[in-house]
Amino acid sequence: MRDALPLDGAPVVSAHPADRASRSLPLTLLGYAALILAVVAIGMPLYWTVIASFKQTREIYSIPVTWFPAQPTVENYFKAWAGAPFGRYYLNSLITTIVGSAAEVFFATTSAYALALLRFPRKELIFVLLLTALMIPAEITIVPNYLTIAALGWTNTYQGIIVPGASVAFGTFLLRQAFRSLPYEVIEAARVDGAGQLRVLFSVVLPMAQPALVTMALLSVVGKWNDFLWPLLVTNTSDMRTLPIGIYWLRNQEGVTDWGVVMAGSLFLIVPMLLVFLLAQRSIVEGMTAGAVKG
Amino acid sequence: MSITITRRRFLAGLLTGGSAAVLAACGSTPTATAPTASTASTAAPAADATPMPAATTAPAATAAPAATAMPAATTAPATVAATGSGTKITYWGSFSGGLGDAEQAMVKAFNESQQDVQVEYQFQGSYEETAQKFTAGLQAKTIPDVILLSDVWWFSFYVAGAIGALDDLAAAAKLDFADYEPVLLNEGVRQNKHYWIPFARSTPLFYYNKDMFAAAGLPDRAPETWAEFGEWAPKLVQKDGETLKRAAFSHPNGTSYIAWLFQPVTWQHGGVYSTPDFKMTMTDPNTVRAAKFYQDSANTLKWANLVADLNKEFIGGTTAAMMGSTGGLAGIEKNAQFKVGVGFLPKEKNFGCCTGGAGLAIPTGTPAEKQQAAMAYIAFATNPENAGVWSRNTGYMPVRVSSKQLPEMVKFFEERPNFKTAVDQLPKTRAQDAARVFVRNGDQIIGKGLERIVVNNEGVETVFADVNAELERTAAPILRDLKAIEG
Repeated sequence: MRDALPLDGAPVVSAHPADRASRSLPLTLLGYAALILAVVAIGMPLYWTVIASFKQTREIYSIPVTWFPAQPTVENYFKAWAGAPFGRYYLNSLITTIVGSAAEVFFATTSAYALALLRFPRKELIFVLLLTALMIPAEITIVPNYLTIAALGWTNTYQGIIVPGASVAFGTFLLRQAFRSLPYEVIEAARVDGAGQLRVLFSVVLPMAQPALVTMALLSVVGKWNDFLWPLLVTNTSDMRTLPIGIYWLRNQEGVTDWGVVMAGSLFLIVPMLLVFLLAQRSIVEGMTAGAVKG
Repeated sequence: MSITITRRRFLAGLLTGGSAAVLAACGSTPTATAPTASTASTAAPAADATPMPAATTAPAATAAPAATAMPAATTAPATVAATGSGTKITYWGSFSGGLGDAEQAMVKAFNESQQDVQVEYQFQGSYEETAQKFTAGLQAKTIPDVILLSDVWWFSFYVAGAIGALDDLAAAAKLDFADYEPVLLNEGVRQNKHYWIPFARSTPLFYYNKDMFAAAGLPDRAPETWAEFGEWAPKLVQKDGETLKRAAFSHPNGTSYIAWLFQPVTWQHGGVYSTPDFKMTMTDPNTVRAAKFYQDSANTLKWANLVADLNKEFIGGTTAAMMGSTGGLAGIEKNAQFKVGVGFLPKEKNFGCCTGGAGLAIPTGTPAEKQQAAMAYIAFATNPENAGVWSRNTGYMPVRVSSKQLPEMVKFFEERPNFKTAVDQLPKTRAQDAARVFVRNGDQIIGKGLERIVVNNEGVETVFADVNAELERTAAPILRDLKAIEG
């Protein structure tokens, strides 16, 4: 997992003073320059969203653009909240995201465990099938999925939104790779001590693979929280819809969109995810030092 | 079971090509499923799960449009005595934001005006997403009873047999076709039958910044001709070295529908995109001349530019004039910090202006009593009073001729002279050429060509020869399907 994160070079360097001397100054500066660039590239749109949500529409449309709202207003937030039943959308988004991601993490963990650490016939074939599923863009599966869900009579239901995304090949793939990179001695030792498969999975493998697990769960949660096309397709009534569709509702098809209101609505969507990220980040870092073998 | 899977795979495969291919799945199914003819015959009985006479095998529209859809549409009204009591129908539309609120208000007014029919408005995303969902819904047999389709989408569903002729339903609902704006109504007519009733219709309009015109010492009106605007333009342009700080005029880009606004300019120059029988005429000398005018405006004369969001640039004051949709008028007037002027489009050889926007259709797969209920809603939403209400709330054109004489409308025209100009231009407009609205993705094919001409400054003849060839290629399967349905 450490190899998979090329950008974590900087913190590691500072953690080992001995290494620092060997790094030249230009290289360090370059590292910081790259960091600043990344922060700007990622932070700018967010900053823009936040300040636009406090601007009046006239100011958003005026050129030259302003970097800070001339007459800050919170009116956009009230307008956005009143513009659509966001309370209901929050509930629906929470239900579909929590249940959907829990299912996805469960299926990914158990199937990855089997593929990485158990011996059974045709294992490689199953893995190749999984890789094939990984290659198929989600856009292609949308219509077949819709037909299946409609045939089951699940349109406009929670299970209709959740079930097609309850197990995704990517999660299994990611965790299988992570499980395989774990020190096998530890797992063997646990088995020698008499641990069963479930015990090995929950007490040995998962704690060691915590960063990968949290990363996978995070990707899953964000993906489901932000998903737009599938919930739009599979639901019809306003009481079954999720937050991203609510924001879309605030826009105008033809004519002039009230961007301040749309940006305020976007923050309804973004803020919970930011909080989840802040909380999860700690687990990712902690996990990295928790997997040591040598003593 | 294996047949189902092959069909799904086939559909899935078609979807890779993007939205254009979505409809291909719908339109070209008859030829594609020909080897497995049993599919069509097995699909039809399954459709009868819906409570409707066996004669109306409408959901089979997806499997074999030409053969079954037409009779279904014509026989359906005969089985209907009156609108069923408490019929619930669903309506799929693309209006959100302020337009969505206006749409919901219309549905609410209808539901409260009578007890027989209850309409539920369901927002389905943009025009494109609504059309895609309808395509998927046709396959899964989860379709609405009324659907809003844009100018570039309804025809594809007509060719696929997915939307029905409305004449018998309209007669039963005592709908007076004579009072609809002829240019808008006739756009939805095929073989003397009405398939698409105008509802949220817009046209291009010439917008100008009155303050900038006054500062440049220009008259307070839109230019009569493009030649006149060519004389005015240098006084409106502001340059910072070689870069345009303020353009005299802006064109949209391909994704913001340049092919829609270039349509009237083509006509003004005496050209056309195509003839009604699908002969592509992009290489016509006058069509080429129109494109050269666009190219010169940006590259030689340097008073125009190509922008992603016209309304934003105009409101922001980085362009002095534009052609824009009448649908944006209210929003522009509300947000602009200057006086907004509007006028008819400038002439070249001729006057030319096209229509746009969306209309209402009824799917053939809907049960007969729901079809009549759907027509009751269409009749309500487009009656003279409500056409006026909708127009005043949104800025779309009133689709009824008599709306214009109603006292509320007369008063509104007095308060909003710019809106009156837009409505006055309406009778002089005409329906768009088949190349843009009837050829799938035609809008984008022409739009990308225009981007090559204006942005890359490529030769007009070469680019339009390519565009012409691509349009012909794309039109071929549609012509085949059209022949199957119209004979």
